[in-house]
Amino acid sequence: MEQLESIILYGLKKLNGERTIFSIYHLLNGKKSSQTIQDAHLFSLKTLFGICEGMSRESFEKIVRRLHERKWITHCGKQQFLLTPAGNSLLAEHRVLSYFNGWDFHQLSSLFWVRFSLFIQVISNLVFQETTYIPIQKNKDALNWIKIILRKIHLPKKQIGPAVYQELMDCFSRAEEINPSMLVFRLTGYQQIGLTAEQAAKKFNLDLYEYQIRFIQTIHYLLGEIKQDPNRYPLLHLLIADFRWNNKLTLSASKTWELLSKGYSLEKIAQIRRLKRSTIEDHLVEIALNTPEFSIDSYVGKELQQQILEISRQSGLKQLKHIKENVKAASYFQIRLVLAKFGGGSWT
Amino acid sequence: MDLEKLLQKHFGYPSFKTGQKEVITSILSGRHTLAILPTGTGKSLCYQFPGLIFPGQVLIISPLLSLMQDQVEQFKRYGEKRVVAVNSFLSFEEKQFVLKNLMKYKFIFLSPEMLQVPVVIQKLKEITISLFVVDEAHCISQWGYDFRPDYSKLGEIRKQLGNPLTLALTATGTRKVREDIIETLGLTEVTKVEASVDRPNIALYVEKVSDYREKESRVLELVSKLRKPGIIYFSSKKSAEQIAQLLANKKLCKVGVYHSGLDQDTRILIQQQFLHDQLDVICATSAFGMGVNKENIRFILHYHMPMQMESYLQEIGRAGRDGNPSIACLFYAPGDEMLPVQLAEGELPSEQQIAWLFQRLVHAEINFQELKELGGFSDVQWRIVETFLHQANENSDFKGIQESFLKFVKERLQVKRSYITQMKKWIDSCYCRRECLLQYFEETLTVKVPQCCDYCGIEFQVYQEMNQELVTQQTEETWQEYLEKILT
Repeated sequence: MEQLESIILYGLKKLNGERTIFSIYHLLNGKKSSQTIQDAHLFSLKTLFGICEGMSRESFEKIVRRLHERKWITHCGKQQFLLTPAGNSLLAEHRVLSYFNGWDFHQLSSLFWVRFSLFIQVISNLVFQETTYIPIQKNKDALNWIKIILRKIHLPKKQIGPAVYQELMDCFSRAEEINPSMLVFRLTGYQQIGLTAEQAAKKFNLDLYEYQIRFIQTIHYLLGEIKQDPNRYPLLHLLIADFRWNNKLTLSASKTWELLSKGYSLEKIAQIRRLKRSTIEDHLVEIALNTPEFSIDSYVGKELQQQILEISRQSGLKQLKHIKENVKAASYFQIRLVLAKFGGGSWT
Repeated sequence: MDLEKLLQKHFGYPSFKTGQKEVITSILSGRHTLAILPTGTGKSLCYQFPGLIFPGQVLIISPLLSLMQDQVEQFKRYGEKRVVAVNSFLSFEEKQFVLKNLMKYKFIFLSPEMLQVPVVIQKLKEITISLFVVDEAHCISQWGYDFRPDYSKLGEIRKQLGNPLTLALTATGTRKVREDIIETLGLTEVTKVEASVDRPNIALYVEKVSDYREKESRVLELVSKLRKPGIIYFSSKKSAEQIAQLLANKKLCKVGVYHSGLDQDTRILIQQQFLHDQLDVICATSAFGMGVNKENIRFILHYHMPMQMESYLQEIGRAGRDGNPSIACLFYAPGDEMLPVQLAEGELPSEQQIAWLFQRLVHAEINFQELKELGGFSDVQWRIVETFLHQANENSDFKGIQESFLKFVKERLQVKRSYITQMKKWIDSCYCRRECLLQYFEETLTVKVPQCCDYCGIEFQVYQEMNQELVTQQTEETWQEYLEKILT
């Protein structure tokens, strides 16, 4: 069984037939809608969030079809599935999820890769004393960042490369289920240009998405390891020293939160930010999920909150439609707010 | 002033390339200059050099954002840090900062749409522009194959900036286009520097095949025989991918694909792999080549015919920059001219799209981004639409604007068709290709080269790889070895 298959299988098991397969699709894609963010919390799927960014719908559906053909999953509604006993026992054999940490890392992993690949290129050229080369990253922030970081390293220029080499070898030697090749051959150095994702996939005889998930896993492994033990990896830790780990909000949602804290109304924020009202509503749901100090009382009356929670507790379901049918006075936005604020964990 | 000495001192070159010295001398003596220099002759030196001598700023108008970034990067790489590009890549804050500090830069690259912004013009008026450079100046002319409506306003802007000393640069240009450039920019007394478009070390070869199957097999055959590196140009991303796949499967070369459908990271890597000889053949669309300075490219194949002679010339001009023998082969199958016609039509908004757009415009609320998406306009199409929307902002005679828009599109299509016809005529010509090519650019052939063209005769073995080998898998490097190699 391929890695992507087992990941999707795992996701479907967690969903328990309460959402369509596209819930998993959006989750893997890291879609920043409040529905997806909510699902990640409600179904304890945060580790998978955004680990397959850019996967096409067709490829995803193909894998689901394959799981179905092999009788690992069975229909329980339109685009909804449950695991068969075969699927369940298969999943138990595979420990697929090690090192993935989508929720905490997905926003930072591309930044990490941008920095890491640039860092390696720059220090490799320092080792070989080459000064004219084209940086493989065009990102201006990263180019500024590297200048600052080099000043912080108090080693002779030629020794930085070997020192980073030691740290990487040490780091990779501590993981059994990681294949560092997935990452290493993508690196560019002096007179040696790294492979593109497509070329790497071909080299390892993998389908592109299957390759990418392994690449992301390696990135997440590095991130987790460096973060956990900064003293062990003094140079690599420079790459992540300024990361804001506990910023759980998407960038756009934090801007909305900022304005909200200043006392602007929903309408006013939509107007200022030139966004649709529904987008701002999505942000509010996201804020409700992540920001304990945010009160939803001005958007949903206390009584309505009780009714919504009551219905969802009674049925044990988190389906919005089901709740809406039973609490006619509530809007979908209000139901989502309530579930976001109070729905997580306690009764799942 | 000893120009060569300065050249050596500041740029590290012992001598000028064709035309460079003439242009620089003309500019230094304060004359407006129109320079027609073929690609690869170092056009940027023509303004970088005077910039070091003149006080004040050098303003460079350039239509291609990606090229602009490349140039800025190259300036920086060779030690000129006082350079900046003002274009839509900048964030609002960055733009504010740059505009506030314009004085601090020596070389300011600007995209034409930035010149539509009143604040930008205001800021430009506050600095001393010692040289006003128009790159890709043929975009000014509506007779040019690459006419850009926003370029036609450059004359007006130049006037607003107090008629600074001007350098117009282009790689090619027929007489009509040159006249248009001078007139639109409002230049009087212009020195023209024209280098020949002829590249004597590139043999020109055209082959007519009966269908795409034959074309495919001929291309595969040539790629396996010809000395590499080389580039194969395609008009469609799909065929570029397809042929690359075939070449890879047959292990005929180390092949890569390059087109606008790939993300930026991938494009940078592919280009760099080619420059570092990790790849020796690139299957590309016309998106590839700008800013690629590789001296030893030995062949350029055209799987599809380009949309005009100017593009053909530019693309084959990437071969043989080192002066060594190189070859350009173009393949033509019956009906091939349909593809450029379709592409030309696709670059312009269709009649239906325009009708739809103006229907929307009547309703007050206009969100440009939404209109672009809903109407299915490509970036290229939308650039044209925007020029007309600007007019609609100032003038509410929608009917009149719509009519002039439709007329504009019709005329552009006509011009583009005539360029395609010219290209086809060259393919069909039945005498010396080189003579014919030069004739199109209103030059005459003076020196006959031994390896000229398919009519005059070419000895193919000159361009062949002596020891042909299939690409063999080298012993696989482990990741540990790779990491050790680059870091220690």
